Amino acid sequence: MALQLSYEAFNKVLQELKNEYKIYAPIRLQGTGRFSDTDVVRYGEINRIEEMVIDEKAHFSPKEILFPITQTLFYYTSEEYQEPKEEDKKIIIFLRPCDIHGVMRLDQVFLKNGSLQDVYYERLREKVKFFMIECTEGFDNCFCVSMGTNQTESYSAAIRFGEELIIDFKDEELSPAFEGFGKTVDFSPEFIQKNKVEVRLPDTENIDNSLFEQDMWKEYSQRCIACGRCNFVCMTCSCWTMQDIAYEDNPNNGERRRVWAGCHVDGFTDMAGGHGFRKNYGDRMRYKTMHKIYDFKKRNGYHMCVGCGRCDDACPEYISFSNCINKVTQIVGEEQ
Amino acid sequence: MDINTKKIKKNAYRVTKERGKTALRIRVPGGHLEVKYFDIIKEIAEKFGDGSVHITIRQGFEVPGIDFDKIPKINRMIAPIIQGLELDYGVNIEEVEQGYPAAGTRNVSACIGNKVCPFANYNTTDLAIKIEKSIFPNDRHVKIACTGCPNDCIKAHMQDFGIIGQVEPVYDASRCVGCEACVKNCKKRVTGALRMENYKVKRDEDRCLGCGECILKCPTGAWSRNPEKFFRVVIMGRTGKRNPRLAETFLEWVDEATVIKIIQNTYDFIESYIDKEAPGGKEHIGYIVDRAGYYTFKEYALKDVTLGPKAKVAQYIDFGGYKYERNVYFDKNSK
Amino acid sequence: MKNPYIPKKYEIIDIQHQTKIDYTYRLAYDITPQNGQFVEVSIPKIGEAPISISDFGPGYIDMTIRRVGKVTDYLHNLRVGDSMFLRGPYGNGFSLDQYKGKHLIITAGGTGLAPVKSIINHFHRNPQEIEKLDLLIGFKSSKDILFAEEIEAWKKNEKFNVILTIDREEEGWSGNVGLVTQYVPALHIPDTDNLEIIIVGPPMMMKFTGLEYLKRNIREDQIWVSFERKMSCGIGKCGHCKIDEIYVCLEGPVFNYAKAKQLMD
Repeated sequence: MALQLSYEAFNKVLQELKNEYKIYAPIRLQGTGRFSDTDVVRYGEINRIEEMVIDEKAHFSPKEILFPITQTLFYYTSEEYQEPKEEDKKIIIFLRPCDIHGVMRLDQVFLKNGSLQDVYYERLREKVKFFMIECTEGFDNCFCVSMGTNQTESYSAAIRFGEELIIDFKDEELSPAFEGFGKTVDFSPEFIQKNKVEVRLPDTENIDNSLFEQDMWKEYSQRCIACGRCNFVCMTCSCWTMQDIAYEDNPNNGERRRVWAGCHVDGFTDMAGGHGFRKNYGDRMRYKTMHKIYDFKKRNGYHMCVGCGRCDDACPEYISFSNCINKVTQIVGEEQ
Repeated sequence: MDINTKKIKKNAYRVTKERGKTALRIRVPGGHLEVKYFDIIKEIAEKFGDGSVHITIRQGFEVPGIDFDKIPKINRMIAPIIQGLELDYGVNIEEVEQGYPAAGTRNVSACIGNKVCPFANYNTTDLAIKIEKSIFPNDRHVKIACTGCPNDCIKAHMQDFGIIGQVEPVYDASRCVGCEACVKNCKKRVTGALRMENYKVKRDEDRCLGCGECILKCPTGAWSRNPEKFFRVVIMGRTGKRNPRLAETFLEWVDEATVIKIIQNTYDFIESYIDKEAPGGKEHIGYIVDRAGYYTFKEYALKDVTLGPKAKVAQYIDFGGYKYERNVYFDKNSK
Repeated sequence: MKNPYIPKKYEIIDIQHQTKIDYTYRLAYDITPQNGQFVEVSIPKIGEAPISISDFGPGYIDMTIRRVGKVTDYLHNLRVGDSMFLRGPYGNGFSLDQYKGKHLIITAGGTGLAPVKSIINHFHRNPQEIEKLDLLIGFKSSKDILFAEEIEAWKKNEKFNVILTIDREEEGWSGNVGLVTQYVPALHIPDTDNLEIIIVGPPMMMKFTGLEYLKRNIREDQIWVSFERKMSCGIGKCGHCKIDEIYVCLEGPVFNYAKAKQLMD
């Protein structure tokens, strides 16, 4: 069912939903950016729909809602393992089709990789409803169309932003909050059909270890600075590291938590005793690239990369991931 | 030839080594200007000068080889520059067609600032213009420069007032992945104000310069900017023939209003303490502070200033520098 | 929802000091693991570490732990009667059936002996299950030798041929000297078909030892290796141990050489 309603009316719906849900959308944090007099756009809770940034891509993906950057797994009191209290409220996330596809990739790793489920992810994931932002124009560096992630049906509601809001909602649980607002219209969301950036995907059948030794990776050894921005802004990078701490002021108590890890960052492969792999930054670029457009597919049947282009937006050294994919394809030939 | 050299100097012209020739100096507050003004400078240099222009260390232009009698005409020609780079900024100049009314307080210079530079913590040109507006025209000899960060590309440490941009880094531990990029960088390139504790970062506020490198290095946005702008003010640096020295920190973590107010207040201090018998009535502010003492200067400078909660004031300054001849400080003829 | 990250507490029932930095802990344990599997040792406020199971029997497992980091520092201060938290066992392990009735050659370097020790002891107790077992074991120096008593016992087994070597000449050492790779060419291999090979040790050791065996016309699929990689979870979530499309914690740590040689970090 689709409804057309004013922003004011929608804000009333949001107020109603807020009793039950935490509502996340890209928001602008003015003047807090990396450079002076620049803003940060990233996910945060909103009260009114106007707080949402619609004309700019969020610098960080919504993955941090489902997979927090720092997440406590256990609290320790003496020698007992205590799980943190579960959040009661459910979650609504405003996000674009590429990011919805990204969540499917996170599901693959946290819920379907191996026989055990990651309960911390699962508990959050079960609470989440997607409010899809209709995205027909895209932004710089987006290549969702090439990745086939420009379109999706997996949403509770889809929203077109115009003079008024047009909302297609599929989830009956949402109906009560909308009751009495707007008028019924015919609407199904449109999807972007062409990005400025187009990527030709490699024929994964032709990829073997000889690609890993190609000269193309050497260039990245010189260019990459191993900062990890591409990993951290990525919607699908899901690696993490465990950390145990004893509280400074009460060393008998402490916690175990996990934090995001990135395969570009020093220490990612270092084992106790000092041995590590991929000391060379070009090898890290190769490892990440292969995961996004080759080996994840080999394991799970579809590509990991969703073409959001945030890695390209974020790289301080202007390394383009989409261009890297094209280079791979140039060597091994295009996917049929 | 009958030239009142006092008058033409005040008008921003100078007596040159070549008899009969003068040079025009053009102020560019904040060191940034629209290129349209180049056309005027070019025309003056080609028609009345020797076809060349010198770019001064203070970010002005000096057009040499001009006949003294061309001054009134040139003053009319530079009216659009004075209009655009002074009056439009709010500087109070009564006669736009009579050239610059003073030359004592030098052009307020600035590094490229946050218009372009990733390190800069504020718009240096904008602040330079605000300072220009509050102190020019003035005959007192004061040099001021604005620089975006402690890299100090404008050499604020060589000025009477050097305004260095500071940013308060705000840390969100929950966004920190413990990559240590900020810690390693601060140790290698700054003051080592950061350290790891329990996989998260601790900042030593006393060591932190407010340069913002940690924010630049952070890949997750755990470090972000306090949008409020802060400044460190270094004072009384100088070159010259008696006692060259780098400026020393007077204030830290002060706001823009404070910066402007203390500079304004300094002019009152100069009026009270300048050596009335100084040659040509000119005495450089640094030497006045040397005689009157830092404490007295501070009292004047901070008059009616309300410092913010983060502000720090130097209790004592040891200016140091070196002296070419210690006897210059002894008056052998006095009692 | 069951939380796979919650470890269980197990009591330490014995501690053997193998070297100054390698201790073997025996824990009362209620699960029978597979040879070559590993557990995550979990110490509150200190951290977790993947440790291979070096032996097991009814009601116990052994782990030989080298002191190389925060977790192992802590473990080395524990005494009999103390306990530690474990989760697991994880990974695929070696399949004993693969080797039964065959000529087996096990080549181990340093701590690489730990994950294969239970296999050796199994055939030591059940010699009728194996045709022949060559053991090629290398350590850096005599001070680094692990499981010395057991090695002595293995030497007495008629089905076993044990070659123990240290990297360099040493005063008072009359045994073999040199890297394990040097001893591969002279191994007596009567029938290359009825043969299985296990190689466990540091990455370089496994690579070059594997090449030595290939020179002797042994097929890649007859060779088995065990990998060690950084891990935070052991259950395919943290991503650290992924190489190509496999996860060492899920499809490993034991790999057939034919697969292992394709795994480029």
